[in-house]
Amino acid sequence: MTTFLVTIGIGLSTAAILSLSAVAFTLEYAVSRVANFAHGEFLTIGAYVAYSGQAIFHENVAAAAAIAAVAGAAAGLALNFGLIEQFRGRSAITVFIATLGVALIVENVLVIIYGAANVTYGFGQGKLHHVGPFLWTTSDIEVIISALAVAGLIYLLLPRTRFGKAVRAISQDRPRAQVSGIPARRIIMQTWALAGAVAGFAGFVLADTVGTFGPTLGFNFLLLTITATVAGGIGRPYATLGGALIVGLALQIAGTYTSSAYELVFAFLLLVLLMLFRPNGVFVRRSAVAVRA
Amino acid sequence: MYWVSVVTEAGIFAILALGLDVIWGWGGDFDLAFYSYLALGSYLTFVLTIGKPTPPVEYILGWHLPVLLSIMVAMAVVVGLAAVIGAIALRNLRDIYFAVTTLGAASALYLLVENYTPLFDGYNGVYGLINPGQTALNLTYNGYRIAFLVTVLVLLFLAYLLVQRLSRSPFGRMLRSVREDERASAAYGRRVFGAKYRAYLFGAALAGLTGGLFAIFISAFNPSAWTPQELLVIYAAILVGGRGNPRGVILGVFVVYIGFIELTRYLPSPASRPDFGPAMRQILIGLMIILMLRFRPEGLFRERPGLDRDPASTPASQRAAAPTGQSSSPQTHPRGDEGATREGGASKAGRRRAGDRK
Repeated sequence: MTTFLVTIGIGLSTAAILSLSAVAFTLEYAVSRVANFAHGEFLTIGAYVAYSGQAIFHENVAAAAAIAAVAGAAAGLALNFGLIEQFRGRSAITVFIATLGVALIVENVLVIIYGAANVTYGFGQGKLHHVGPFLWTTSDIEVIISALAVAGLIYLLLPRTRFGKAVRAISQDRPRAQVSGIPARRIIMQTWALAGAVAGFAGFVLADTVGTFGPTLGFNFLLLTITATVAGGIGRPYATLGGALIVGLALQIAGTYTSSAYELVFAFLLLVLLMLFRPNGVFVRRSAVAVRA
Repeated sequence: MYWVSVVTEAGIFAILALGLDVIWGWGGDFDLAFYSYLALGSYLTFVLTIGKPTPPVEYILGWHLPVLLSIMVAMAVVVGLAAVIGAIALRNLRDIYFAVTTLGAASALYLLVENYTPLFDGYNGVYGLINPGQTALNLTYNGYRIAFLVTVLVLLFLAYLLVQRLSRSPFGRMLRSVREDERASAAYGRRVFGAKYRAYLFGAALAGLTGGLFAIFISAFNPSAWTPQELLVIYAAILVGGRGNPRGVILGVFVVYIGFIELTRYLPSPASRPDFGPAMRQILIGLMIILMLRFRPEGLFRERPGLDRDPASTPASQRAAAPTGQSSSPQTHPRGDEGATREGGASKAGRRRAGDRK
C-alpha cells in the first residue's frame, strides 16, 4: 500500500508537469489548428536558458523559472511569426511536417551550443515530506503547486477575460472572429507567447525533476504531451488537465509494477489505444467530431 | 571504394524512398513508423542468418538460413507488422492523427527493442553478417562490394519499373483520387481503406527488402541506427525530388545523400567539438524540409500521374468523372501552377496552394 501511495504521489508530480506542457500544446492547437511538433523544443529551450542563467542568478529557483518562461515565450512568438503565419492556408499536415523540421533545427542548434552530452542543474531537490499519504520532495511540492497555479490562471483567463473570449472565438472560427472585430493576429501572437511561456516553464520544471538532461529532453517529452492532450481531447484546454492526470498516473503505475524501462512503452501503447478507441478524448462519449479528413 | 559504398547506400535508400512515396506521395499518409519496417527487416535478416548467439550476447532465433531466404522471411514478417499498424492507424485516422499514431507505435516498438535484450540484444544490437556468400561466389572483399552495388542498382531499377507501372495503373490513379478527395472517391465506389491499406503494405514490403540489403551493407544494426532523423532525411529527399514522381524521388535521394550528406562531411568539424558536423547536417536537413514545403512543395520534378487511356472517356466525361481517379490531362488545366497534379481540383486550387496535398 505504501508503494502504491508513493507511486501515486510521483504520478501526481509527473501529471502536474504534463498538464503544463499539454495545456500549452492544446492552446497552440486551439488558435492555429496546428499540431506543433516543435512544442517539445520550447521545453528544451526553457530548460537550457535556465541552465545558462544559473551562473547569473546562482541558486535562485524562482529567477531561473522566470527566465525559462521568458525564453519559452520568445520561442513561441518566433515560431508563430516565422513559420506558422508563413504557412497560413496550407494543410494541417504540411505545417506539421514543417514544425518537425523546426524541431530538428532547434535540437541541433542546442547541440552546437551546449554539446550533446547531458547537463545538470545545481538546485537541490530539498527534503522529503510526508504530505497526507504521499511522500514528496520539496521540489515535487513546488512543481505541483506551481502547476496548479498556472492551470488555475489559464482556467480563469479563458472563460473570464476579453482575451479568453477572443481565444475561444478564434479557435471556433478565425475568419468570423476577425469579421466581428477581434484582432485575430494579435490574439494569436499573444496566445503563442502564453503557450511558449508555460511550455518554457514546464521545461525548466521537467529538467529540474529529472535532474540531468540533454538536447532531446523536450522531443522525448513531446509524445507524452501529445498522449495527454489526446486523452483529454485535442484543442480542449479544460479536458487536458484530466488527460494529463490519467497519463501521468498510468505511466507511473505501469512503471512501478513492471520496470521503469517499460513505462514509456506503456504510455505509447496507451496513445495507440486512445487513437483506436477514443481519438477525440476519453471525456467525449462518441466520436462527435470526425477525425477523418 | 569510398564511392562504391556511398552509391550503394544511396541506392538502398532510393528503394526505401520509392516505398515511402507510395504511402505518402500517392496515398497522402504521413507515416512516422516507416523506418521501423527497415529496422525490423534488418534485425530479422541478422537473426535468421548469423546463427546462435554466444553469451552474453542474446537474441531470438539464431538460425542459419541462406541470406536470400532470410530477406524474404524478413519481408513477410515486416508486412505482417505493417498489417497490424496499418489496420489500427489507417482505418479511421488521417493526417496528424495518423502521423501521431504511427509515431506512437514506432516509439513503443523502439523502446521495447532497446530495453528488452532477449529480443535483439537491446542497445548493443546485432552484428556479424559480413559479406554473406563471398566464398561461395569466389570474390575478393572489394569485388563482393562492387557486386553488391550492382545488385542494389538492379533491384532499384526493378523497383522503379514496378512502381512506375503501378503509378500509371488503375490502382495508382485510385490512390491519388483518394488522396485528393476521400469522400468523392468513396462516393464513386472506391474502397478508401482498402486502397490505402494495400499501398501501406506494399510500401512496408519494400522497406523490409531495404532492411535486408541494409543488413548486408552495414553488417551491424542497433537502435542508434534507428533514430527519427533517419526517416526525416528520406522525407526531405522525397520533397526535393518531387512527391509522387518515382524518377524524381530516386533523383532526390541521390541528390540528398550524395550531393548533400557527403559534401557536408567536409564541413569544418573541430576536434574539440565532434558534434558540430553531424548537428550542422541535421540543421541543413531541417531547413531543406521547411524551404521546400514553403516555396516548392511539388519538388524538382512534378508528379505525373498516368493518363486515362480508356477510349470511352472523352475530355468532357473526364472532367465529370475526375474524382474516380481518372486524372485530367494537363491540357484541362493550362495554368501549370495549380493544375497538372490535381484531379479536378481547379475549384479547390484557389483555397489551397499548388501542390499542397494532405
